[in-house]
Amino acid sequence: MTHILIFFIGASLLLYVVLGGSDYGAGILELLPMRPGRLREAQKHTISHAMGPVWEANHVWLIIIIVILFMGFPYVFTTLMTSLHAPLLALLVGIVVRGATFSFRYYDAVWDEKSQRVYTALFGASSLWTAMWLGIIAGALNRGTIIAPGALPPAGTGAWHAYILPWLDLYPFCVGVFVVCIFAFLASVYLVGETKDPGLGKLFTQRAAVFNMLTVIAGGLVFLASLLETKSLFAAFLERPLAIAPIVIATLLFVALWKFIQFHNTVFARVIAAGQVTMILLGWWLLYAPNALITTGGPVSFYEAAAPSATQLQLMLALLIGSCIIFPSLIFLLRVFKANARAK
Amino acid sequence: MDDLIAARSTMAFSLGFHIIFASIGMTMPFFMSAAHWLWLKKKKPMHLELTKMWMRGVAILFAVGAVSGTVISFQLGLLWPGFMKHAGPIIGMPFSWEGSAFFLEAVAIGAFLYGWKHMKPWLHWTTGLVVGIAGFMSGIFVVAANGWMNTPAGFDWAEGVASNIDPWAAMFNKAWLHQTIHMQLAALQAVGFGVAGIHAALYMRGKARDLHLLAMKIALTFGAVASLLMPVSGHLAGQRIAEYQPAKLAAAEGHFKTSANAPLVIGGIPDVDAQTMRYAIKIPGGLSFLVHNDTGAEVIGLDRFPREDWPPVVITHVSFQIMVVIGGILALMAVLYFVFLKRNRWPRWFMKALVICTPLGIIAIEAGWVVTEVGRQPWIVQGILRTKDTVTPVPGMQYHFYLFLVLYTILAIATLWLFKRQIQGVEKKFAIADEPSAEKPQPKE
Repeated sequence: MTHILIFFIGASLLLYVVLGGSDYGAGILELLPMRPGRLREAQKHTISHAMGPVWEANHVWLIIIIVILFMGFPYVFTTLMTSLHAPLLALLVGIVVRGATFSFRYYDAVWDEKSQRVYTALFGASSLWTAMWLGIIAGALNRGTIIAPGALPPAGTGAWHAYILPWLDLYPFCVGVFVVCIFAFLASVYLVGETKDPGLGKLFTQRAAVFNMLTVIAGGLVFLASLLETKSLFAAFLERPLAIAPIVIATLLFVALWKFIQFHNTVFARVIAAGQVTMILLGWWLLYAPNALITTGGPVSFYEAAAPSATQLQLMLALLIGSCIIFPSLIFLLRVFKANARAK
Repeated sequence: MDDLIAARSTMAFSLGFHIIFASIGMTMPFFMSAAHWLWLKKKKPMHLELTKMWMRGVAILFAVGAVSGTVISFQLGLLWPGFMKHAGPIIGMPFSWEGSAFFLEAVAIGAFLYGWKHMKPWLHWTTGLVVGIAGFMSGIFVVAANGWMNTPAGFDWAEGVASNIDPWAAMFNKAWLHQTIHMQLAALQAVGFGVAGIHAALYMRGKARDLHLLAMKIALTFGAVASLLMPVSGHLAGQRIAEYQPAKLAAAEGHFKTSANAPLVIGGIPDVDAQTMRYAIKIPGGLSFLVHNDTGAEVIGLDRFPREDWPPVVITHVSFQIMVVIGGILALMAVLYFVFLKRNRWPRWFMKALVICTPLGIIAIEAGWVVTEVGRQPWIVQGILRTKDTVTPVPGMQYHFYLFLVLYTILAIATLWLFKRQIQGVEKKFAIADEPSAEKPQPKE
């Protein structure tokens, strides 16, 4: 049963990164300097229409992860919420600003230059900001610096050590940069297929190339930064050689991806980009399985942290039945909009 | 500001903010669907215009509701880890259902907002209705979870550990039914009167009168029906609270001493130190009658509880009074509405009164939540866990509070500003449309 719950966390995380990540990436792309003019407006229009119908659904994956954690793995949830309070707070601010400005931009009844510029700037900045913090939080999970709840310092002492140091370091920061790059990369690959404008298509292809390179560089930086950690990624991967395979596959897939993008086969390009993310997350899981996080008191396994079995059963049923609602409705949404895009 | 007060203030502010948008998000799609239905049936351009106008409002408010709801799902853990540690496994289930409902709502709203040209008209109409239904279900799940905090069920509690967890019994706790009925009606009432008030104001400005009158009628029909049912649901809730949370009822009524033939207190300020009510009108036997259907029955007062287990009496009582008074005013307005609807006459004074009533329903919702949340203190889970024992050990909570104070204030101002622009946009359009030539049916979008 716990396996199934872990699977749902993994699947929701994957969908959030692939679908929600593309939405973040779209905001990051809009932040890049561009000469004002037709191309910039076309980019904004494409992003508004590609994201508009789906961004709220894509966002729900994050909430589903949170609900699974607090119902099924309360120890993991409360430990995270305590130790990583500050970055989670930063994340929330980003989520609020991002969601609000994105819908304000489209639904403001008056489309004047000035307010549209403000919305776009805030949407872009908050996308970058939120993606960065997502990465920092992900990077902080397995460093062994999160204080176990029993070992928290008494009130008024050691706040810096307990609540700031677990995440304030080079390694989580590099993971943040890596996440930003991969989101922008995903968005570029996705948006190539969302536009019929050749100029814009070319621009997104270029952006995909740049962020592809940056993703590889940022990935390298993550490995280098890990040398300063208690246990470097190199050492961790050597202990679990199985985890190396997905990472190698993810890297090799870049070659295939380039072939497809060059031949304008956007469907395959998207599938491969999503496959790369799947591989990276799989590698991450294999590297630390079955641990949810590593605290100063040692690793916390999902199995140890799981709620009583009656709760797990109800959660599993809710998720299975929920899937029967979620997936058909999602497919309906995609079919409605994709069928129409083809008809155009 | 100490950390506990800061954490409580943050939660109160955050919930108080979200509840407005959540209430709108789960009721306004129904108004929108009604207007949309008229458009599909009667094809007057005005119907389409109204549908789209409300749709833009729903889109903006739904987005704010979605993100502020996300904030709350995190803040439950960020602020109250000691609560979530125990409550998560017991009462997480309605939240997991709520996740699916929210997903459906998010998909439906995406399909509705962007799907005008992409679907057959009636399928498109259905997606709009699904937004409302899914939102309404979400509301029920969340309020049921809150009911559990008031009447905990579905577990055994010994030495700070919960065992024998039964999520179904927890979800269908003793408070879930009356609380969800009361909340859902309150949302319909508040949003119905809120929307009607805005349109009444626009109606009096004289532009696009037909549109605003129709809008007012649709919104107010929902709001008025809810307002007439509200006293019944309030009475039901009051009797249940008297049974399960006597301290909350005593605080709400300002009832200090346990007594038979207890009076119903109207208005007044509780003097907690003297344990008496000042400046209040008292109806002898009134409270006993309302609670036990018998003017002679005994009603438990605050004196039955240790002083440290009293909720803040002044806040609870004053909020309760505000809620009840507004409920009364809106029920009266509802009766008047049906009278004028039958005569199809809309006197100016009634429209003015509607404008004044615009914010009342929302104020009543906020006051009602203060009663239920503050009235439960010092407990976070009635009789099981104290709020102060569950607060996060992370210091500096006041900054968390200030941050959201600033963020949400800006967001609220921005939302109001957007609404002003929305209304301006519509009026501009109708400055021309009011001329007779524009009455020709326009091509369907």
